[in-house]
Amino acid sequence: MSRHRATGWVADLALGARLVFAGGRNGLLRTLMTAVAVGLGVALLLTSTSVSTMLDGRSERNAARDDQFLGAAQPPPGERTLLVTASDTVYRDEVIRGRLLQPDGAHPPVPPGLTRLPGPGELVVSPALADLLHSPDGALLRPRLDHPIVGTIADEGLSGPNEYAYYLGTARLRAGGGTLRIDHFGSTPSGEGLDPVLTLLVLIIFVVLLLPIAVFVAAAVRFGGEARDRRLAALRLVGADAVTTRRVAAGEALVGALLGLLAGAAFFLLGRQLVELVTLEGISVFAGDVRPHPALAALIVLAVPAVAVAVAQLALRRIVVEPLGVVRRSGSRRRRLWWRLALPVVGAALLAPLHGGIDQTGGPVNQARVITGVTLLLIGVTALLPWLVEAVVGRLRGGSVSWQLAIRRLQLDSESSARMVSGVAVAVAGGIALQMLFAGVQGVYVRNTGQDVSRAQTMVLIRDDLPGVDADSLAERFRAVPGVEGAVGVLDTAVSPVGSVPDEYGQRPGTLLRIANCAALRELATPDRCVDGDVFQIIDEQSPDPAGLPAPGQAVEVGFRHPETTTRWTVPTSLRAVPGRTDPAGNQFAGLLATPGALDPATLRGVGARVYLSMDLSRPDTIELVRNAAAEFGPAAEVQTLRATEEASRFAQIRRGLYVGVLATLLLLGASLLVGILEQLRERRRSLAVLVAFGTRRGTLSASVFWQTAVPVLLGLALAIVLGTTLGGILLTLVRQPVRLDWPSIASMSGIAGGVVLLVTVGSLPVLWRLLRPSGLRTE
Amino acid sequence: MNTEEQPLLAAVELHKAYGATPALAGASLAIRAGEVVAVMGPSGSGKSTLLHCLAGIVPPDAGTVRYRDRELSAMSDAERSALRRSEFGFVFQFGQLVPELTCLENVALPLRLSGIRRREAERRAADWLARLEVGDVAGKRPGEVSGGQGQRVAVARALVTAPRVVFADEPTGALDSLAGEQVMRLLTAAAREAGAAVMLVTHEPRVAAYADREVVVRDGRTRETVLADR
Repeated sequence: MSRHRATGWVADLALGARLVFAGGRNGLLRTLMTAVAVGLGVALLLTSTSVSTMLDGRSERNAARDDQFLGAAQPPPGERTLLVTASDTVYRDEVIRGRLLQPDGAHPPVPPGLTRLPGPGELVVSPALADLLHSPDGALLRPRLDHPIVGTIADEGLSGPNEYAYYLGTARLRAGGGTLRIDHFGSTPSGEGLDPVLTLLVLIIFVVLLLPIAVFVAAAVRFGGEARDRRLAALRLVGADAVTTRRVAAGEALVGALLGLLAGAAFFLLGRQLVELVTLEGISVFAGDVRPHPALAALIVLAVPAVAVAVAQLALRRIVVEPLGVVRRSGSRRRRLWWRLALPVVGAALLAPLHGGIDQTGGPVNQARVITGVTLLLIGVTALLPWLVEAVVGRLRGGSVSWQLAIRRLQLDSESSARMVSGVAVAVAGGIALQMLFAGVQGVYVRNTGQDVSRAQTMVLIRDDLPGVDADSLAERFRAVPGVEGAVGVLDTAVSPVGSVPDEYGQRPGTLLRIANCAALRELATPDRCVDGDVFQIIDEQSPDPAGLPAPGQAVEVGFRHPETTTRWTVPTSLRAVPGRTDPAGNQFAGLLATPGALDPATLRGVGARVYLSMDLSRPDTIELVRNAAAEFGPAAEVQTLRATEEASRFAQIRRGLYVGVLATLLLLGASLLVGILEQLRERRRSLAVLVAFGTRRGTLSASVFWQTAVPVLLGLALAIVLGTTLGGILLTLVRQPVRLDWPSIASMSGIAGGVVLLVTVGSLPVLWRLLRPSGLRTE
Repeated sequence: MNTEEQPLLAAVELHKAYGATPALAGASLAIRAGEVVAVMGPSGSGKSTLLHCLAGIVPPDAGTVRYRDRELSAMSDAERSALRRSEFGFVFQFGQLVPELTCLENVALPLRLSGIRRREAERRAADWLARLEVGDVAGKRPGEVSGGQGQRVAVARALVTAPRVVFADEPTGALDSLAGEQVMRLLTAAAREAGAAVMLVTHEPRVAAYADREVVVRDGRTRETVLADR
């Protein structure tokens, strides 16, 4: 390229840039809207490239405070050891991470975020938990954590800024059971990968969430297209040739994109500061963790201006800019269908060979193939939608004035409406496909817990700290909680034959012993008859060593694990074997069952207990009151909510991530639609003002705006359902699951998208009404 | 008193300012039924604002506008909209036809807004297009017809509801002289035939010559009224 030609290029681009700012207030407003819209997209892209650093930050801090080294050998007590018990609780469906700490010596390890260990009865809490405890919302939590707060956990000791967490100092812990002895905090972050099906889900979620944003950015750089066409026509009038106008258009597009990048960076930085205020699905993120991946951020910085220029040039192919104005080619030239159909067909063809090739135990997923195939199928939505809108609205006739105004407008220019809606359609198509996939593989990741919620909905588990209580009075304390309809209590302990010899690990053979009245024992066994004074033994197939059970008349030590809790007892000769029964929490016991008449609980020390509760689930305070009642037995008391099914945690996390992502994407698309509608309205304000002048009602014009948005949206949703279910079906065959249409998902995704459109239309009405003021006539 | 001598539309001492810029500063004007009045004046003198106030499009800051026995400023926005739909017709300089509708649909639009069924509205619209010699462009969109044809379509739209007053703001401003003459001839003839008054805002004496009388607006005041001998 000669120097002269290069200078010419630069001059043309610079002229385009200058024209952006030369349009007066309206021009600046259009540029601002483009910058804001592109900026929103850029900000979301930057956020998505920060996901891995966000997760890494959480995972590193979680690993650094890890203290549950289950299965590992525990150090002997010493100056530098500590007893720790997990005492997590739940308040209003939010998990509160809790730890009870008890140093063995003078130099115990200190968890991250703390400068020293809390003394016995002292509490150190996270800032969010401190706020909750001090607020009226925390009223029902305060009795559970009724200790003086002596400090705050610093950021390095928290997974996120809004995490609820506490450390409570105590002097009542004994090693064993859930209490571990440790000499350090922290473990290596687990680098365990996802199985192929979860990898597939994650890949598709990223494609599904990022593609609408790309579509949105491409639409945003076309804002103000009509005004730009008029400017280009004016340039042609003063002698610019077609090539020059293309370069000028490129210059204009570049400015919009660059301003959008700046706006995006600003939104991202602003959002980063605000991110700590938000907790979604129990997850909060530190601002410092939100750092875009450098390579991906660089790609965004390069790709956005490139897309802007490409889109501007493509748009110019559809018009002829002449000195006296702009002629659109779209009116006379019908859109071709073949290449639009080719995109999803090629996408499906790419995915088809993977049929049945992805399962949980299989090899790695061909990521490039999956991403390309899914992307092509979804891009098919954006390619087919303009054709579909043109084909359908071209056949619509008649109707009310508002309908006629909308349809005629769409017939004249269906492309800009289709462009605005295509982001929503892609999101819905992807969402439907993902929901189908989730529903299909759900059975693999959601397991039946075996818990019987028809018998009890909550179980309170109290560990070995109870001094001589009987199960009935224990149950009675919970029955007194408002909303608790029934309570069945069982005491837990273990027995070992007197004189039994410890094994190579120092453990004496033991048998579980449950003590309760006959009614309560029937939750654990099915004796043909039971009276107070009876003793049973449960032998079932799961019992590893039925021969190890104490024999009738044999002397045993109850609570044998600690000398201070050990009591002697002789197994009555009336011992009968009975069939076991799975308890409401899904557990099957093998061991001894005794009624209080056979073994007086008042003579025992250090027993545990479990209380099965039936309760009125419609009263949200009941479960909190139960937790408070349980906390009276010590912070290690555990309240389990019983559920018939349980999702695998990674599956649940991915599903949560999808919902968060879809929410953010739909908000962005809603903003995009709103900006697009406002821009269209501004372009037509003269025409609107004339309509008002000769008496057109506001309602008529508002309805017209609604139809103008609703018709392409409905067509977009129809297309999204077709391609989304197709993609969903293909994905299900990839993971060897039967193809089933998931109508609730289709309805919910379409409903959400419809709601967004309705919301956006309502949001545009104030501007429409402002434009309908007769002052619009004065613009000439 | 003979009602024919009563002004159909009368503005008294109108004041209107846009921000700090005064547009009308005590303008008064009366139009009788069937009369064609040309409002003349230089650019920025307040002609269009006077028209907008008289038509109930813009409320004046002070002064009164009476149409028949009703004061426009006492009417709600909805009532004024209804009045504009049923009693008034409008022709502007440009940008007045809805670009996405065909010429026939544009002319039928005011009738449809008044609740007349589409078939009947389009039948009447076709009649008016034929009377204004643009029946052949009925199926075309405004962007596909010439400026003169577009203005005649606009005139047809202004007259299709049989209004009592037609407001025409620079109706020939964007046309060449031949097309302008044709539009004015058709506009005034059709209005006279329908018995409609016409308020014609223009700065072209040749256009004003079609009026029964001329009113000159300068600095927001109606300074003089010249009775023309037509």
